[in-house]
Parts: sequence; structure tokens; C-alpha cells
Amino acid sequence: MTGERKQTLRRELEAIVGRGAVLSDPEELLVYESDGLTLFRALADFVVFPRSTEHVAAIVKLADREKLPFVARGAGTGLSGGCLPSEGGLVISLMRMNRILEIDYDNQLAVVEPGLVNLHLSWAVGPRGYYYAPDPSSQQACTIGGNIANNSGGPHTLKYGVTANHVLGLEVVLPDGEVAWLGGRTRDPNGYDLAGVFVGSEGTFGIATKIVVRILKKPQAVQTVLAVFDEVTHASDAVSAVIARGLVPAAMEMIDQLTIQAVEDAFGCGYPRDAAAALLIEVDGLAAGMASQLERIVAACRECGARDVRAAKDEAERQLLWKGRKSAFGSYGRVSPAYMVMDGVIPRTRLPYVLDRVNAIVRTHGLRVGNVFHAGDGNLHPNILYDPRIPGEEARVLAAGAEIMKVCAEVGGSISGEHGIGLEKADFMPFIFSEADLELMRRLKEAFNPGGLCNPGKIFPTKKSCVEVGPVAYRPHAIEEKGLAQRF
Amino acid sequence: MADDILAALRGVVGPSNLLTGVELSPYVLEGRTPMAAAFPGSVEEVSAVLTLANDASVPVTPWGGGTAMSVGAPPTRSGIVLGLRRMNRLLEHEPGDLTATVQAGMTMRDFQAAVHARGQWLSLDPPDPGAATIGGVLSANASGARRHLYGTARDLLIGVTIVCASGAIVRGGGKVVKNVAGYDLPKLFVGAFGTLGVIVEATVKLRPKPEVETLVAARFESLKDCGLAVCAVMGSDLIPSAIDLLDGEAAAAIGLPGERPALVVGFDGLAEQVEWQRAELARLCAELGGDDLRDLPAETWARLSVAAPRALTDPVAVMRLSVLPARVTEVIERAGATARGLGLRAAFSAHAGVGSITGALARGRDAVDAVVSTLRDWRDAARAGGGHAAVEAAPLAVKELVSVWDQPGAAIRIMRRIKTQLDPKGILNPGRFVGGL
Repeated sequence: MTGERKQTLRRELEAIVGRGAVLSDPEELLVYESDGLTLFRALADFVVFPRSTEHVAAIVKLADREKLPFVARGAGTGLSGGCLPSEGGLVISLMRMNRILEIDYDNQLAVVEPGLVNLHLSWAVGPRGYYYAPDPSSQQACTIGGNIANNSGGPHTLKYGVTANHVLGLEVVLPDGEVAWLGGRTRDPNGYDLAGVFVGSEGTFGIATKIVVRILKKPQAVQTVLAVFDEVTHASDAVSAVIARGLVPAAMEMIDQLTIQAVEDAFGCGYPRDAAAALLIEVDGLAAGMASQLERIVAACRECGARDVRAAKDEAERQLLWKGRKSAFGSYGRVSPAYMVMDGVIPRTRLPYVLDRVNAIVRTHGLRVGNVFHAGDGNLHPNILYDPRIPGEEARVLAAGAEIMKVCAEVGGSISGEHGIGLEKADFMPFIFSEADLELMRRLKEAFNPGGLCNPGKIFPTKKSCVEVGPVAYRPHAIEEKGLAQRF
Repeated sequence: MADDILAALRGVVGPSNLLTGVELSPYVLEGRTPMAAAFPGSVEEVSAVLTLANDASVPVTPWGGGTAMSVGAPPTRSGIVLGLRRMNRLLEHEPGDLTATVQAGMTMRDFQAAVHARGQWLSLDPPDPGAATIGGVLSANASGARRHLYGTARDLLIGVTIVCASGAIVRGGGKVVKNVAGYDLPKLFVGAFGTLGVIVEATVKLRPKPEVETLVAARFESLKDCGLAVCAVMGSDLIPSAIDLLDGEAAAAIGLPGERPALVVGFDGLAEQVEWQRAELARLCAELGGDDLRDLPAETWARLSVAAPRALTDPVAVMRLSVLPARVTEVIERAGATARGLGLRAAFSAHAGVGSITGALARGRDAVDAVVSTLRDWRDAARAGGGHAAVEAAPLAVKELVSVWDQPGAAIRIMRRIKTQLDPKGILNPGRFVGGL
């Protein structure tokens, strides 16, 4: 972009959002060159900070007129490079649109702006006994708008579903700058379920500027159980055994030995260091029946060979158990200079087979892996440990990652459960989708985004990429360094 | 030309699976007789039928059990009925994964029976499960009282196989319960009434069958009191699977004596959970003036969604109003007053916790005018209640004067573009859906 054009555009953008809301100096843009997956980097020409729907619409109209690519960005905690300006142009940061516009307790809904931090909504409605259910592990930092883009999940999606199950309607700025409501405040769509289709479209269908979400009553009671196993397969069996007893826990998380040791080194959460695997199982709901649900879980785990099963005695112990789970990613720093998080989904009955395969693949590449994941819904997160200073290691990590994705595909699973496709996995899409499947998705994208300017270069396989990929040294993302976010 | 197509269709599905002439009487839609009804036996045959139709620009109406065919604007052209009843097999059920994959033509009842046998169920309870097929239920976004806790088709469908207008066979979603790879195509086809593609297979999430399930009714003097009880239940610690509200007429239709409004609440789970909730409900109702608390027989569940039309001896029109939950009673009160003012009998039931009202209207003496005025007012009432309304059933003369679907606003632009992208020749159920799609 010529200096003159850049000056002109900057003035036009400032006329929309005001001075102090447009960045164009290279050193300022650097902060926005990647998301939580620092392997991919791309520089924007501008980062703009709108404060209203009108601002967003005007910016998008300008981009459309000037044929400038644009991409919306929340907190940048994404893990697939989804919010990168991979073809330059505008990053539209929604961090200044972070208000809760309305809370309607009678109808159990809230209207929020996209830059609102996920957890802040639960804080706002908490005093009245409500919460917002989707709980990605980055919920202290990630925004609801970002959750919309990725259809984010979290540990409790096992029982409560993902973001799409909690969104009623969206006001969106479409890629031509026009504003439309998709869905609304009531439950049944009027026409095609465009709100449902928009959620999880990774920012390629437009920019959500107002979001209507359901808020839920907090459960009356909650209980958390830690089950310890000497064999990983026994822990996998226990996951199925709990389900087979007709229970639907709120969460069912697995942590392997390497991860347990890292967590214990870092935080001392009371997980036995010599265990092969631990399961964290949470049930919530009515106080009535809680004890018998716990009994059934304990029995299922013991039947599968658990060495020890205990329920948290009080809220403090429960929080400590969860701390181990939620801090797992941060604790890998104790055992490795760097790690890369994978995200794949498998039918939960295939857990023992797939975990074996994952371990074998990683070993073949001369690497180590820590597993901490949503076992209840088969959403794996193998974390491959490596040292970026060793030449060639990162390439081996990527190769192992691709093989793991192939295994997920082979057993009838998916290449992403919650992190999205973005740039990272665009070329893996053919593992699970045929050309006809992808063609239908392209047509759907064409309907929303005919000019292709809205978040180009994502989701669909392409050989060509302007993004810096490959042997880039790992470094933690800024928000990770500040301890603001875990990796999922 | 028509003869060529019929011959080609016969070649695809076999002579015994192609109906023509007088055999078509069950497939007459709003007075229009299709040129043929084809019943393919495989995904490939569905694809071949659609390819033929698309090449000849002949409209295609996908047909499951035919239970929701009254929904929609009258068809603008006759074409082929594409019946899916022969594709009625359960393809896969892995209890440990809580998922199942099923062909679109299997009825809800058969599907539920198959998964019940292994201790599970699909938590979706549309009306008429003996006839309604999986594909039809998904396409019509049909649901029942249990949607209060378990959601609707969009929340349960995790994968679909679609045959597109072009005949292309496409898979969307997958077989795992959590999946964000690519666009969420299953949501696009739920409630699309077959206008974007034909659902031929579906993968759904299942749940373990609850040990105990119960349905409890309490009676109130007025709709308003009944509505206050709904709010009290929603704000309480109870986790009901259903919260329905019925006016006096609809209450009578599910077998409750006396012409008073009823609150009907469902619970499921472990016996002790259900017992505690039943007692807590009794306490809440007593505080709000409710009485005559009683357990309802299991078969009442299936009657809840159709209580309003069944309450009338001669229902002429049915409307579904989707409103904010807290506005349900005021919308029903207004809608009822309008009907009475125009000399028509009406009955209402609602899945109140999710704001879904079904209003039914009985035939009056000067049939059309009063019905039209009433339905128009009901639509305004739904809008005033924060939502919208669609005509679910009405005579042709009424549909010509009252739009079946509500205005979708600016989003219609995107809906049209999607339709054009997926069905460029406009052969799939043309003209029946929102905005003439």
C-alpha cells in the first residue's frame, strides 16, 4: 500500500471512529499480528476500534468500497489463526464494544456487545443466581464475539452444549456494510436459522455487533469427583461406564501422567504423581439425588479399576481440583520450553485406541505428549512438547499433528472440537469433507460474503498463503505471558 | 416432456415405486395434484430423481410422513413428490457414544423404539410420531413439550446427508457430539422445509432414558395466575423438562375436568429428584392460588402440543406464535379477546417456558373474513410480545389473504441468496417458505 493511500485511508477511518481509535504504525500493529497460535503471523495495514454498530458498518462500507480485506478480532485468544489479517487490510477490534446492553431476568436472556469478556457476563448476572453457560478455559479473557466466531465450548459443554445452543439472535454487519438481525429474542427462527449458521462461521459471514444470549439459573448443587487410575485405558473405560449408567455429568475431564506431574510441580493440587491418568467428573443440578449420582460414579470408576476415587469435601477442595485441570496448560512450562496444543474429536468409545495411536505417533517423531482433555465428549487435546531451539523439531511437531488429525478422521471424528479451522487446519479439511461438501460450504459463504473481503483465506483448503508459516520460533502470546489466558 | 420424465423416473425407482394418476390423491396439496410421486430406495436414487427434476426444471416436494404438509404457502407449480418412506432404516447406533445415524424416512416412533431398546432416547417429541419421519421432523423443525429442557432439532442434530437440487450428495457436520470443522450445515437444513436440499440421513445426539418421568397439572382461576406460576417455576431451583400452559378449552382437551386454565409441568430423572420437584411444585402452586394438583397419565405428553386444535370440534386455522416467555399470558389474553370479539371460538396452549404458543380457531358462520381478521391480529399480538407468528394450517382462501410466514426483516436478503446458491433453478418446494422462497 502506498504511503499516500495509507494516509488517505487513515484520515477516512479517523473520521468514522475518531483519533486514537486507528493504529497504523508498524510497531503498534505488531501486537495484532497473531492470536494464541503464534506460529502464524500476518500484519494488518490498520487496526480500528469502533464503539458502535454504526462505526462497524461505516468501516465495513469503506473496506467494501476500497476492496480492502477486513477481519474482526476480539481478545485474540483464538488457537487457529482465525482472526489474522492474512491478506493485510483492516483488523476491526471489538474490544471497545464491551457493554452489557440489557439483562432480562424474566425471559432469561441478556443482550451484549461482542467485546464483552465471557466471564464478565456470568459476574454480572451471578448475584441474581444466573450464569452464562459456555465456559471456554480462556473465559477470563476471551470475548463473547470471539466465542460466536468459533462456536466455543468448554468443560461443561458435555451437559450444557456449546455457544450455538445459547445464542438466540445476533445483530450483524454484513460484508457489504448493511445491518441485519439474524434470529432475535424468541426461540423459533423466522425463516432459515441464520443465527445458528452464523455461529461458528469464524468471522467469514460478517461481524456480530449485538448478541442475544440465554442465561441459566445456577444449579442448586454441584459435586466434583477425582478418580485416579494406574492405566490410561481404565480411565477411558470409566468414561464410557459412567455414561452407560445413565448419568450425564456436567463435565468429565481426563489428565494424563505427564500433565499430572507438570501440574503438581507447578501448583500442587493434590493429584497423585504416580497415577497414569486422572478423571475429574462433575455433576450438578438438584440437591436431591446428588448423593446417589455420586455413588454411581464412584462405583463405575471402581469397576473399571480406579485405584482411588474421592469427592471434593468442600468448595475449596473442589476449586483446587479444578485449578489443576485449568492450569494444566500453563504448567507444561515446567517440563518443556514449548508445546503445541492439538484439538480433535473422536467418538468417545474410541478413546483407548486413539490415545494409543496418539502416543505412538508422537513417539515415532521423537517427541513427548501431554494429554488433558474433555473426555466426556471425546474432544482430545494432545499437547506436543518440544524445543523450538532445536532445528527441525517444530516441523516434526506439525507433521505429528497432521497425523493425529488423520487418526481422528479415520475413526469417524472431526479435526476440530472447539478451536476452529482458521489458517491452521484449512488444508486438513479434505480429511473429513469431500469436494462436494466443501463446494456447498463455499456457496453458503458466497451468499453471506460475495466479495470475499470478510476474513479471507480461512477455513477452505488452499495451497497458496501469504502468511508467514513454517520454522518460526515459538513464543508465548502476550496475553499468555501475562497469565491472562490458558490455551483453551 | 412429462411422459419422458415419468419414464425416466420409473427407470430410477422401479415401476412399483412411482405413483401416477388416481394413486396420487394422498399427495394433493392445496388443491394441486402432482404429476407423480417417486419413492427412491437409496441415497443414489434420490440423487438420480433430483438430477432428472433439476435438468427438466420440474419442482420437487420432499415428503416424509406428510404430517406437516399443511404448513407453508400454497405451491405455485405442480411437480414431483419425492417420498422418503422406503428409506426407513436405523444405520448406526453406538450407545456408548450416545449418537445414532438414521435414514430420513424412518418414523419417530420406530426410531425411538429402536434406541429405547438400548436404554436411550432422542429428546425430541414432535406430534404424531407414528407418522412423522425423522427427515420431516427436522425439515419442519417440529418439537413438543420437552423442548423446554432439551431444546429443538437444532440442538440435537449433529450431522446430515443432503441431496442438493443438483443431485450432489453432501455431508455436513459429523458423527461426534462436538465439532466446529467448517460451517454448521445441519442448522441450515433444520426448519428449511426442504427448500435447500433433501435430508436423506441424519446423525443425532441421544440421551440416557430417565428412570422416572412424570407430568403434573395444577389449576388456576385465571390465565394471569397461571402465568405467574410459570414465572415462579422458571425462577425456582426446579429443572422441569416441560412447562406448559393451557387455557380452559385446551385443558379440557387433555382430559382435565372443569373449564379452568392449567399449568402442566414435566419432570424426569432419578425417583428422588422427581419426588422432590413434585413437592416443591406443589408448594409453589399453593402459594400462588393453584389447586387440584394431579399426576397425568403418560399418554398426555403427546397431547400437549395438539391440545389447542383438539379442543375445538371444527378447527379451521392454527397459528404458532413465538413470543418472549414472560409475555405468553398477555398475548393469549389479547388473542382470545380478539377471536371472541369477532364471534369465533379459540383455544390456546403454550410451551410457556420457551414462549411457543399454539392458537386454534373454530369455524364461524362467515368463515373467511373473521378468521382473516383474527389471524392478522394474532400476528400483531405476537409481534407485540417480542416475536413473530406463522400460520400452521388454514384453508386456501385464508392463506390467500394472510401471509403464512411473518416478515423476516433485513435477513431475507441473505435467505434469498442462500436459496439462489443452493437451488439456482428454484425446484425445491418453490414458493412455500418465508418470503416466497
